[in-house]
Amino acid sequence: MSDSLSVKKELAVLIIDDNEQITKMISTFLRLNNHKCIIANDGKYGLDTLQKERFDVILLDLAMPELDGYEILEKIKSPDKLSRIIILTASNITKENQKKFKEIGITTILQKPVDIDVLLEKITTISKC
Amino acid sequence: MFGVTSFIIFYMGFLSFITTSDKLIGTIMLGFSGIVSLGTLIGTFYISRNITNPIDELINKMNEFSQNNKTTKETKTSHGIHELQYLHKNFHKMTGMVGKTIEKEKKLNRQLQEMDKRKIEFMSMMSHELKTPIMPILGYVQLLKKQELLGELNDQQLDAINEIHLATIRLQKLIQDVLTAQKIDLEKLNITKDTLESNEVIDLVYKAFSPICKIKNVHLEKNSENHQIVSDSDRICQVFSNLISNALEFVPEHGGKIEIGSYGQEESVVFFVRDNGHGISFEEQQNIFKKFYQVDASLKRKKEGSGLGLSICEGIVKALDGKIWVESRVNSGATFYFRLPKKTIQLHHLSNCETIKRI
Repeated sequence: MSDSLSVKKELAVLIIDDNEQITKMISTFLRLNNHKCIIANDGKYGLDTLQKERFDVILLDLAMPELDGYEILEKIKSPDKLSRIIILTASNITKENQKKFKEIGITTILQKPVDIDVLLEKITTISKC
Repeated sequence: MFGVTSFIIFYMGFLSFITTSDKLIGTIMLGFSGIVSLGTLIGTFYISRNITNPIDELINKMNEFSQNNKTTKETKTSHGIHELQYLHKNFHKMTGMVGKTIEKEKKLNRQLQEMDKRKIEFMSMMSHELKTPIMPILGYVQLLKKQELLGELNDQQLDAINEIHLATIRLQKLIQDVLTAQKIDLEKLNITKDTLESNEVIDLVYKAFSPICKIKNVHLEKNSENHQIVSDSDRICQVFSNLISNALEFVPEHGGKIEIGSYGQEESVVFFVRDNGHGISFEEQQNIFKKFYQVDASLKRKKEGSGLGLSICEGIVKALDGKIWVESRVNSGATFYFRLPKKTIQLHHLSNCETIKRI
C-alpha cells in the first residue's frame, strides 16, 4: 500500500444493500483502501447492526425487500447516526424527498451506478463531520 | 280539453231542447248533442289512453335516460296505437344497447387505467433493475484500472478493460435515455421549479462540458445574457447535455466550435446551442425531433446514439411549458433553440409532498 493510503484513518463502514454483488464490490474496494466493512444484505440485519455498533459511515440502499431504506430511516432516532448515512440508490428521488432527507440530516444521496472514486470521496467527507 | 268540448256540445243541445218551441226538433237536437258529446268523450279517452299516455311515458323515460344513462324496466305497453308501441319497443332496444356500450366503455376504461398503473410500476421496476447491475460492472472495471489495488495489467488487458469501461458508460447513458423517454411518454417526468439565473445554468453546463470539449479539441464558448427564470435547472441542464452531445458528434474534426448561451424576450428566455457542423437539411429538420430518428440511419453509420436525444429534449422542454426548434442550413452549422417562460403559469407541477414518498 502506498504511504498516502496507510496514513488515512481506518473507517468503519456499514453497507446495507440487498444486492450481494454491489456489497461485495464496494467492500472489496473499501478494504483495499484499508477500511473496515460490515455487510448487511437485508434491512432488518442492517438496522440491528446499526443500532448496536458505531460506524463512521453507513451506506444505505432504499429499495429492499421487507424492511426497506425508508422504514429504516423512520426507525433511526439518533441525529448522529442519521448524519452518517449516505443514501445509495438506483431509484429516482424527487426534489421534495431530497429536501425531506436534508431535514433529517442526510446530505449525501448517490445514484447507482456511482463512480467508486466519488463514493470514496463522499465516505471520507462524511466521516470527518 | 275534450271533456270540456263534449260538455259544451251537450249543454248547447240541452239549451236548444229547452228554448226551442218544436218538441221534436228539441229532442232530436238533445239526442244528437248527447251522441256527439259521448263520441267526443270516448274519443278523448281513446286518444289519452293510446296516444298521450304512451307519449308521456316515453318522454319520462327519455328524461330518465338522459340523466343516468339507464331506464327502468320496460313497462308492458299493450295499449297505445301500433306505431307508438313500436316506438316504445325500439326506444327500449336502443337504450339497452347504449347502456351496454357504456358499461363496456367503463370496463375498458378501468382496464386501461389498470394497465397504465402496471406500466408505471413496470417502468419504475425496470429503471431500478437496469441500473443496479451496471454498478458492480463499473465498480470492478474501475477497480481493475487502479492497478495499485488489484495488481498490474499488461497493455492488452488494460486495453480490454478500457473497452469494457467505454461500453458500460454507453450502456448506462442508453438506459438513462430510454427511461427518460418512457417517463416523458407517461407524463411522469419529475419537474421541480425554482427561481434561477440563466447565467448560472449556462456556467454549470459550460463547466461540465469543458473537459470533454478539450479532449475532443472543440472550442466551447458561452455567450449569455442574465435573466431570472422560474424553471427546473436539472432538466434544463439535461436538455443542454443532449444538445451538446449531439453537436459534438457533428462538428468537424479540426476547428470544431460550439457556442452555448441565452437571451431574454418579453415573457421568456431563449437558450441555444450553436455548432459549426455540416448542418441539417430542411427535410431532416422535419424529422429530427421524432423518436429513434437518425440523420444517418444506416447500420454502417459512424455516429452513435439511441436516436432518443432530441425527442427527450423536446419532451422535457414541453414539460417545462416551452418550445424547441432548430435553425440550420446544409454546410453552415446548426443552432438549436429552446424558449422557456420566465414565470411559471401552471401550478400543477408543484406537488405537495408531506412525508417521504416512495417513487
